[in-house]
Amino acid sequence: MVANGNRDGRQGEALVLKGVDPETCMIVFKNHWAQVVKILEKHDPLRSNTSSNMASAVQNYVEHMLFLLMEEDAGQAGAMGPILEFVVMENVMERLFLWSLRRQFTDDMKLEQLKMYEMIVGQARQPLLHHKPVLRPLMMLLSSCSGTAGPEVEAELVSLLNQLCCVLAKDQSVLELFFHTSEDQGAANFLIFSLLIPFIHREGLVGQQARDALLLIMSLSAENQRVAQHIAENTYFCPVLATGLSGLYSSLPTKLEVPGEEWHCLHREDWLQMPTLVQFLNSLEFCNAVIQVAHPSIRDQLVSYIYNGFLVPVLAPALHKLTLEEVMTTTAYLDLFVRSVSEPILLQTFLSFILLHRHENVHILDTLVSRINTPFQLGTVSLALFQTLIGLYCEDVMLQLILRYLIPCNHMMLSQRRVVKERDFYSVSAAKILALTPSCCSPEHSPPPLRQLDSILWSKGTDNSPNTDPSGDHPPPHQEHAQIYLDVNYLHYLYNARLGISSCTRACQVWSAPYDGEDPPPEEYQPSALEEAGARGRQAQTVNPKRSHPHPRPRPPCPPQTTDPAPTNQLELEWDDSYDAGPVVPPEAATAESSRPPQPPAAEPPKHIQEMRRTAIMLVKGSYIEESDFQDDVMVYDLVAKKDARDTVDRRRPSRETLPESDMDSEFTLEEDHFKVSSLQEKDEVPLSNGLSLPPHPTNMEVNSLEVTKGSKEVKAHVADHNSNLQSPLATEVGDDLMDQYEELIRTLGSDEAGTGGSSHVKTVDKEFRNPVVTPMEEDEVDFSSFSVDTPELEKQHSSLFGTKLRSGSTRSHSVPFTGPFVSVLLSRLENMLDNSLHVNLLLTGILAQLAAYPQPLLQSFLLNTNMVFQPSVRSLYQVLASLKNQIEQQASTKKDFPELITSAQHCLLARESSLKGQDTNSGDSRECSPLEAGRMMKSSPPPQPKTISLARTEVFATVLFTEFLKELAAIAQEHSILSHVPMEE
Amino acid sequence: MNLNPFWSMSTNTGRKVRERSSFSALKANFCQVHPTHKREERQKNRIFKSSQRDSHTLKRSDGEEQSGEQQQQRASPARPSFGKKQLPSIPKNAVPITKPASPAATAQLANGTHASYGPFYLEYSLLAEFTLVIKQKLPGIYVQPSYKSALMWFGVIFIRHGLYQDGVFKFTVYIPDNYPDGECPRVVFDIPVFHPLVDPVSGELDVRRAFTKWRRNHNHIWQVLMYARTVFYKINTMEPLNPEAAVLYDKDVQLFKSKVVDSVKLCNSHLFDQPKMDDPYAISFSSWNPAIHDEAKERMFSHKRRPEDHQKGLPVSGLSWVKPGSTQPFSKDDNPPLS
Repeated sequence: MVANGNRDGRQGEALVLKGVDPETCMIVFKNHWAQVVKILEKHDPLRSNTSSNMASAVQNYVEHMLFLLMEEDAGQAGAMGPILEFVVMENVMERLFLWSLRRQFTDDMKLEQLKMYEMIVGQARQPLLHHKPVLRPLMMLLSSCSGTAGPEVEAELVSLLNQLCCVLAKDQSVLELFFHTSEDQGAANFLIFSLLIPFIHREGLVGQQARDALLLIMSLSAENQRVAQHIAENTYFCPVLATGLSGLYSSLPTKLEVPGEEWHCLHREDWLQMPTLVQFLNSLEFCNAVIQVAHPSIRDQLVSYIYNGFLVPVLAPALHKLTLEEVMTTTAYLDLFVRSVSEPILLQTFLSFILLHRHENVHILDTLVSRINTPFQLGTVSLALFQTLIGLYCEDVMLQLILRYLIPCNHMMLSQRRVVKERDFYSVSAAKILALTPSCCSPEHSPPPLRQLDSILWSKGTDNSPNTDPSGDHPPPHQEHAQIYLDVNYLHYLYNARLGISSCTRACQVWSAPYDGEDPPPEEYQPSALEEAGARGRQAQTVNPKRSHPHPRPRPPCPPQTTDPAPTNQLELEWDDSYDAGPVVPPEAATAESSRPPQPPAAEPPKHIQEMRRTAIMLVKGSYIEESDFQDDVMVYDLVAKKDARDTVDRRRPSRETLPESDMDSEFTLEEDHFKVSSLQEKDEVPLSNGLSLPPHPTNMEVNSLEVTKGSKEVKAHVADHNSNLQSPLATEVGDDLMDQYEELIRTLGSDEAGTGGSSHVKTVDKEFRNPVVTPMEEDEVDFSSFSVDTPELEKQHSSLFGTKLRSGSTRSHSVPFTGPFVSVLLSRLENMLDNSLHVNLLLTGILAQLAAYPQPLLQSFLLNTNMVFQPSVRSLYQVLASLKNQIEQQASTKKDFPELITSAQHCLLARESSLKGQDTNSGDSRECSPLEAGRMMKSSPPPQPKTISLARTEVFATVLFTEFLKELAAIAQEHSILSHVPMEE
Repeated sequence: MNLNPFWSMSTNTGRKVRERSSFSALKANFCQVHPTHKREERQKNRIFKSSQRDSHTLKRSDGEEQSGEQQQQRASPARPSFGKKQLPSIPKNAVPITKPASPAATAQLANGTHASYGPFYLEYSLLAEFTLVIKQKLPGIYVQPSYKSALMWFGVIFIRHGLYQDGVFKFTVYIPDNYPDGECPRVVFDIPVFHPLVDPVSGELDVRRAFTKWRRNHNHIWQVLMYARTVFYKINTMEPLNPEAAVLYDKDVQLFKSKVVDSVKLCNSHLFDQPKMDDPYAISFSSWNPAIHDEAKERMFSHKRRPEDHQKGLPVSGLSWVKPGSTQPFSKDDNPPLS
C-alpha cells in the first residue's frame, strides 16, 4: 500500500482482509466515481434540468462507493486506505455535496446527505473525520441544515450530530478539526454544538438524542478548557437551558386536578400522566446532569441562570399567585423539583432560593412556613414540601428552620443549658412519653387480633455460679425467667428509630457544628446578634447567588445576548423581563431598611390585618375561636421571660386587666403554654410571628377572633372599615397611647427589678419597645391598594390565605424565647390533631419523628427531653402531647362507643397499611405510613372488620395515631440514649 | 509466671470464633469496640425471637441465631463506626462524673404503660451503661454482657504491674433487676483471688464499701469496674472479707506477696478452662492457633483504617454549606465547588 498521508499516526483498526480483495474494491470504486463524474459534468444542475434518472443514477453509484469506503480497512500504521485516499485526493465528498447544493436543495436531499454521512461516520472502519475533504462538506451540510427544516430532517440532523459527538468523546483529536473547519466556514465556532442547542428542550427521541449529545460535549468540557470557554462565552447554551425551564414551566398546568383529599405530593405515577411535566423534568434532569459533568465555568454559569432566569423570575411569582389551587400546585411542583434534583450544587441553588430569596420583601421560606397552617390542600402540600426538605439532612435547611432559634438557648431556663448534652440513661423521657398513652388505647385494652402484646421471656440473669456462691444470700443458682407481656410492636419502632437515627447521624457528619448548646456558643448568637448577623447574611445573600454563581465569568467581550446567531428563535422561550434585574434588593436598600429610624408601632400595616381577617372568613371550621384575652398575656410573658432569663425566679404575673392592648410583639403568644391554640387564626398568626418578620400586632388577633364569632358578612364589612381606619391618622394616635401604657408597665416592672440590679436591663427593654423596629409599611401599602381595588372578593380571600405578607429582615423583640415559626406551626397543627384529617396527621407526625431523629443535642433536648425546663413562653412537644392526651381522655369519657370506634379505626388503618405496602414499591414516599408500620406486626391475616368507620371521625383516627406516635417518639428517645453517645469521634 | 503473649481470648462457641474471631490478649481492647451493636441487636433478637416463637424457653440453635442476626444486619444500613478507637495507653482519671440529679425519676413507673415497656427501659439503661463503659476505655478491663441476660456481664481484668502483676482474673458482674434503683452491681471473680477485699470462698469482691448507696445518674457500672481494677493496685485492709490476707499484708508483706504470686499462678493455670457459665458470650481463652488467630490479629491491626475506607465507599448523604463558626446558611467561602 502506498505509504502516504500518515497524517495523524493514529493506529487504525487491525488490518483484516475481507472476502473481496482490496484492489478489486478500489477498481470498482474508481469506476463508479468515473461514472458519477461524467454525470456531474454533463448535467450541471444550474444549466440544465437534471433528470431524476440522472439523480438516482448518481445516488446508486454513490451508495456503492460509500459502502466500499466504509468497508475499507485502514492501511498499515494507520495510513489511509486506498479508497479513502482517493476520496481525499479527488475531493469526492465535497463535489457530491456541491452538486446537490446546486440542484434544488430540498429536504429530501438533505435527508439523503445526512443519512449518507451518518452511515459513513458511524460505520467506517477508519477515522474519516480527520480529513478535511470529508469534514468540510459535512460541516457545510450541517450548517445548511441549521435553518428551518422539516421534522424528518431535524431528526436525522440530531441523530447525526449525536453520532459526531460520540466520535468526539472517543477521539478528542477531532475536536481541533471541528473548530478549525468552522473557522474556514466563517460560521460560529464549534458548529455541532450550536446546532444542538435548539433541541435541548425538545420532547421525544429527538430531544433525548440532542441532550445526550450535549452531555457528551459537557463532559468533554470538563477536561478541555477551550470547549468550556467557548460554551460559556460564545454560546447561548446556559441561558437557553435555564430559561427553557421557564418556558416549559409556563406550559405546565397552573392547577392540578387533585385525585383526592389525601393527595399531598406529586408521585411518579402522577407526573407520568402529565406530558408537559415529564418534559419539564427531562430538562431539569438534563440541567442536573450538565452540572454534574460540565466544566466549573459552565456549571456556575448555568446555576446562576437557573437562579436568575427561572427560580426568581418565574417560580417566585408562581408561588405567590392569587388562587389557592395555583399556589398549591406551584408548591407541589417545587417539592417535586427538589426531590428530582440530585446534584448538590443544583440543590443548593434551589435551597438558597427557598431559604434566602425574598419575593416582594418576604422570604420564600417564611411564606412557605406560613402556609403549613392554611386549611385545605395547600397546608398539606406545604407539609409535604417540608418533609422533603427535612429529609435532605441539610444543615442550612435545619439551621434556618429551627436550629438558629435554638442556638441561643433562650428557650430553656439558664440552669438547663448543661442538661442539653446530657444523656437519658434510664429511658426516663421514653417512659414519660409512653405514659401519655390514652387509657382507651393502652396495650392491654386492645382485643386479641389487634393486641400487640406478646408474652416473651425475660431472663433475669441471676447468679448461677454455684461454686462461687455459697454465701446463700443470693437467689438459687439457676436462670430465672419471668414471663412478661410486652408491646411487641414497639420493637419495630425501636428498630426503625435505630435506622433513622443512624442514617441521620451519618449524614450529619458533614455538618459544620454539633449544635450541642456549646458549639455554636449560645452567647455569641443571642437573638439580637443573630438578627443582625442574619440581616447582614441575608444582605450578603441577596448578592450571593450572583457572586457564587457568577455570570459568564469575566463578561466575555461579546455577551451572548448580542452575538449569537440566535438559535433560540425556534424556541419561543419566555424571557422574563426581570431576567437580569437581579434577585433582590440591592445591598444599599437593605442597609437603609435596617437602619431606618424607628417608627411608632401604630404605623400598622393594614395589609396585615386585612389578611388576617380574610383568613378568618375563610376558615371553615367553627372551632377556631381564639380566647380573646390571650394577647393580654403577651407583654407579661415577655417581661417575665426576660426576668427569667436573668435568673430571677420570680414569676409573678400581673393581672391581665392592668395590661393595655398590646400593639407590640405578640409572637410569643403562640408559645404560651396555656394558650389553647387550635385556631386557624393562629395559623396565620404564626407566620407573622416568625423571627424574621416584623412583630405582628396583637390587636389583629383580637379583631380576628371577634370577627370569627361575628360571622363572615360582618367581617367583610369590618375589613373595609378597618382598612380605612388604618390609613387615617387616628392609627398613630392609638399607637402613641399604647406606647404610653407600655412604658408605664415597663416602669413598674423595672422598679421591681431595680433592687436586683436590673435597671440597666430596664433601659434596654425600654429601648426595644420604643424602637419597635422597622415597619415596612410602604411595600405593604402598595400591595394593599392593589388588592382592595378590584380583585374579586373570593380571590382576595384566597390570596390572604397563602399570600401572607411577612415582613422580613426585621427584628423581633430580642431575647424573647422563641423556637421559630416552623416549630410553632408544627406544634399548633399537632395540637389540632383531633380535628385534622388522617393524612394531615400522618404527615405531621412523620415530620416530627423525622426531626426527632436528628442527633443534634439542641434539637433532641428540645423535642424529646421531657425533663428539660423551658421558658414559660416556650411550648414544647411534650406539652402539646400532654394536652392532646387530656383531650382524648375527655372524648373517651364522653362518648360511649369510643372504644369500639378505636378498634374499628385500628382495623381500618391496618388494612390501609397492608394495601399501601402492596403499592408502596414505586411510590417514593414511603415515609408516610411509617408511624403505622406497627401494622406489619400483625400476626396472620387481618380479621374481618367488625365495623366500618368513616374517616370523618378524625378524633378516633387521631387517637390511634397519637398512641402510635408516642411509641415512635419513645423509641427514638431510647435509641438516642444509646446511639448518640456511642463514641464516634476521635 | 509470665503471661504468654500468644494467648488468645475468645468466647466459647464456634460461631463466635468465626464471627469475632479471637484476639491476642494484649490487644484485646478491640473487643470492647465491637460488642455494643452486636449486643444491641442480639437483645432485640432475643426479644423478637422468643416472642415470635412464643416459647417459654430460650433454647436456640446457633444456626437460627445466625440467620436472625444476618437478617438484621442486612436490613440495617452501615452502622456508625465504633471502631476508630485505639489502644488506651494512659489510664483515664477515674473521678466519677457527677450528674445533676434528675427529678421526676420514677414517678411514672407505676403507670400502666410501664408494665408493657418496663423491660425495654431496663435493657436500654443497661445498653447505655455498656456504651459508657466502652467510652471510658478502662485499661486492662474487658466486659461483655451475656447472651442470656443484660443483667449479667462477663469480664476479665489484666493486671499490668504492682503486686498482682501478670494476673488475669475473670469475673462476672451481676446487676440487680431493679437497676438503677437497687443496690450496686456485684462483682464475683471466677476464682477467689487472694486479696483482702475478695471473699476467699465465693470470690466476690467487696464493692459495696465503695458504693454504699447506688445512686442513679451518679453511679455507673464503669465505676464499679474501675474500682475492681483499683483494688489490685491500692491494697486496702480495712474490714476485709479475707482477714488472713489483710493481716498478712499488714504484718508480713513478704508472705503476702508470695501468697499473691501463688494465687495469680493458680488463676492463670485455670485460664484455659471452660467458662463457668454456659453462655455463648462467656469469655473463654484458648492457646494461640495461627490458623484462627493470625487472621483475626491481622484484622485487628488493620481495624483502624477500616472506618475511613468504609466512609469513602458510602456517598455522604448529608449536605452543608455552612461555614464552620458561622450560623449563616450558604456561608462557605467557596460556595459552589463543594464536594
